[in-house]
Amino acid sequence: MAGLTLRNVGKRYGALSVIQGLNLDIRDGEFLVLVGPSGCGKSTLLRMIAGLEDITDGTIAIGPKIVNDLPASKRELSMVFQSYALYPHMTVAKNLAFGLQNFKMPKAEVERRVAEAARILQIEKLMERKPRQLSGGQKQRVAIGRAIVREPQLFLFDEPLSNLDAELRVQMRAELASLYTRLGTTMIYVTHDQVEAMTMASRIVVLRGGHIEQVGTPQELYERPQNLFVAGFIGSPKINMLQANLSQVNGLTEARVAGLPAFSIPNLPSAPANATLCVRPADVRLDGGDVTASVTVKLVEYLGSETLLHVALTSGQTVLVSHGGRSAFRMGDALTIGFDLTDLHYFDDAGQRIEPTQNESRLQ
Amino acid sequence: MKTSAIKSGHPLSEASKLDFEIDEAARMAHVLRLKRERQQRVGRLLKHAFLIGFSAIMLYPLLWLLSSSVKPEDEIFSTLSLWPSQFMWGNYVKGWYALPQSFTVFTINSVIVTSLSVVGNLISCSFAAYAFARLTFTGRSFFFALMMMTLMIPYHVVLIPQYVQFLKLGWVDTYLPLVVPRFLASDAFFIFLMVQFFRQLPKELDEAAMIDGCSPFKIYWSIILPLSLPAMGTAAIFSLIWVWEDFLAPLIYLNDIKSYTVPLALRLFLDQEGQSAYGQMFAMSVLSLVPVVLFFVLFQKLIVRGIATSGMK
Amino acid sequence: MNRFIARNGPAYAFLLPWFLGFFLLALGPILASLYLSFTRYDMVAEPRWVGFDNYVYMFTRDRRFWKALNVTFTYVALAVPARLIMALVVAMLLDKGLRTIGVYRAIFYLPSLLGSSIAIAILWRQLFAADGVVNRVLADFGIPSHAWITDPNTSIYTLVLLAMWQFGSPMLIFLAGLRSIPRDLYEAAEIDGTPKWRQFLRITLPLLAPVIFFNLVLQTIEAFKTFSSAFIISNGSGAPADSLLFYTVYLFNEAFKFFRMGYASALAWVLLIIIAVFTGIAFLTSKYWVHYENERD
Repeated sequence: MAGLTLRNVGKRYGALSVIQGLNLDIRDGEFLVLVGPSGCGKSTLLRMIAGLEDITDGTIAIGPKIVNDLPASKRELSMVFQSYALYPHMTVAKNLAFGLQNFKMPKAEVERRVAEAARILQIEKLMERKPRQLSGGQKQRVAIGRAIVREPQLFLFDEPLSNLDAELRVQMRAELASLYTRLGTTMIYVTHDQVEAMTMASRIVVLRGGHIEQVGTPQELYERPQNLFVAGFIGSPKINMLQANLSQVNGLTEARVAGLPAFSIPNLPSAPANATLCVRPADVRLDGGDVTASVTVKLVEYLGSETLLHVALTSGQTVLVSHGGRSAFRMGDALTIGFDLTDLHYFDDAGQRIEPTQNESRLQ
Repeated sequence: MKTSAIKSGHPLSEASKLDFEIDEAARMAHVLRLKRERQQRVGRLLKHAFLIGFSAIMLYPLLWLLSSSVKPEDEIFSTLSLWPSQFMWGNYVKGWYALPQSFTVFTINSVIVTSLSVVGNLISCSFAAYAFARLTFTGRSFFFALMMMTLMIPYHVVLIPQYVQFLKLGWVDTYLPLVVPRFLASDAFFIFLMVQFFRQLPKELDEAAMIDGCSPFKIYWSIILPLSLPAMGTAAIFSLIWVWEDFLAPLIYLNDIKSYTVPLALRLFLDQEGQSAYGQMFAMSVLSLVPVVLFFVLFQKLIVRGIATSGMK
Repeated sequence: MNRFIARNGPAYAFLLPWFLGFFLLALGPILASLYLSFTRYDMVAEPRWVGFDNYVYMFTRDRRFWKALNVTFTYVALAVPARLIMALVVAMLLDKGLRTIGVYRAIFYLPSLLGSSIAIAILWRQLFAADGVVNRVLADFGIPSHAWITDPNTSIYTLVLLAMWQFGSPMLIFLAGLRSIPRDLYEAAEIDGTPKWRQFLRITLPLLAPVIFFNLVLQTIEAFKTFSSAFIISNGSGAPADSLLFYTVYLFNEAFKFFRMGYASALAWVLLIIIAVFTGIAFLTSKYWVHYENERD
């Protein structure tokens, strides 16, 4: 097992820069998820760690050892591919053993490890099959098996679940999480699915355009997004964003938002004129709150465990409201929504988070 | 039709009229369909008749060759019938020994040259194709373009300097000038064929193998080759057939009749023309084609697919 | 430098045989051939530099050179279109609605595979001989027998026929090309009531243009290279009356019968340039008549 250190890592294809000056410390034994929209460089970063892509700038070290020029075959890590990349001409058993044999491992040890992996992943009955005779989920297990037999210091996963159907994805997600608990090895996991990121990660790295937007635990990212991008990217349904005009009045910050009554915010260290106030759909209340507004229901989406209301402020802006359980609302209904000031996230005109000072008094 | 029915204005009669028109339309569609099916059937029959007749014309020269090889000498040119009045199997025996060396010698020579060439082609061309299709390296597209350009170069252009070169090496009258170039990937067609095939394999396989500790050679040997058996088969069959039929290179490099390949030997029959040994000449011609036809029949699928994927030859 | 070797070493190692072959068997000989083309060389004495003499002689005084060009161009101009049209027509016949296509395909392809063999050249000589089968068939139709091969006016056509007989490989490529034309285009045209010949002109031909282009280039190069059949049928000399003096046959004889290696090298370079020019023209003009994707209908 080993941690991983990335220092000023960059990747260019000719003039096109995909990753710029990226710094990241991955702790030994953590489950790190790289997440971001497509084209953000997350897969490229993973492939650079794996040794499948050259590193144009900076250094990558596994443990204490800089691996920039070490070929993939010598990095002693294993990787699970989105397409599984099982060797089509080999049986499952051969697929699992292939890597071990390449490292000249004694036969008995190979057999022991293959049997062990097969047991853990419950694929013992499939050992003599060829990959084309396997279902998607079985292929996935074999691909994971091929990674764990190596007992590597580092696991890499490149969107491993995105080729599975929804039900299987949930199941494999849980199995991967329990595998991580059992092995305790450092894992780096790339996904574009924020649910996967939230459920499995010890820490999440949100990437955009080749640089890091925020690193933190799932809870940190959800509760204290450092910028508008992270706020919008993490959390489903998507966070509500309201354009606000802030001004200092008598030491209090007064906020004006179209469609809402003006209200004042305590403890805000700065008051940029163009700010964005965000509130998560789950934090919007239908029973009062520090700030309230009357709205019209535009759309009702019943999801079973919750109902999603699309409501319009008087300014016309749509606000999403997540409402537990069944609701009797219908399109066109008028109602009052509200939220508490503690549930608001404030971002300045550059999109950076403004943190309210802690010694709060709930004044208004 | 519909609009006119609606315009007529009487609700009841409108409906019945509509019904009637729908019925009528359905009947007409049915008749039309029957007619079309009949036309299609007739068309298909005509097409088959044409194709069968055309096949007969295409095959006639070959059948004529086959039948002439067992016809009595005086029947070869005197009758159009493909069926000999008596079968002169002796043509095959006499033909086999008609030349200063027997066809046993020529056949062995051809087999030696062909098998070495096929092996050489497969190894050297798959090496080059693997590099072009699966590895990234400086100058890849430049060298690939060069390789494609060599497809265009007529053999006659390099023939003379090659001959001078091989003569100086003392290789003339050996099989080396015929075989060694094939170990140097000299037939770019096969490189191209294999590149086309290798490119279809998912890139992740190489990457997974790399992560599994494979060197590039190990990837070539354990992953790419086993997955490319159809392409290798196609290349093997084509190179086998072409080397077997090759005439120009043996003509230039082989002077001693003891080292002649089958096509060179066949040409000797022509020099004896007029000695009325047509039957024997045809018999040996037939034998020279047997391996080709045999491989074609056995591996037709590979050949057809090979041409379709490479789009060549 | 180390990084360069680490990155490229394996690939260059795999390419080593090809590199050797390219330099020793292609590039080297081509350059050597260029040098020799400016010399007089009989393989006994060392090559003697003569400047442009070979080329000057070739273009101003060598009537056999012009004859050979004439024969070869005639052959290319007749054989290539004939073979391609044949291939396209048969491919279109085979393309639609036939279940037994495999058998026909095999029969039509077989001659292509055998065609370059000496046995077939020998056979062709006999088929078109004065007392050959062709004359016998024609006699049944009341056409007087004719010495097709020994008459300088007709000999070339026997070779064109041989080329036509071998339409198999372009046919297979056309078949693959026809397969890749989406069926719904024809269905849409059918619904629009487009007549078949218009469907052919408006759908098949434009969408097949890249394949036709490809075949045309390939077959033209192949036709320029024709040697074995012409050599055998003309008895190695280009006879009768040089009517089968294919360029390659002429070159071969200059080199290996008369050992005029310098002059033959000059001939070889002219052939190389001719083929390069034809390929170049094909590629340069291709943008005017080959439409990839859906640039136009």
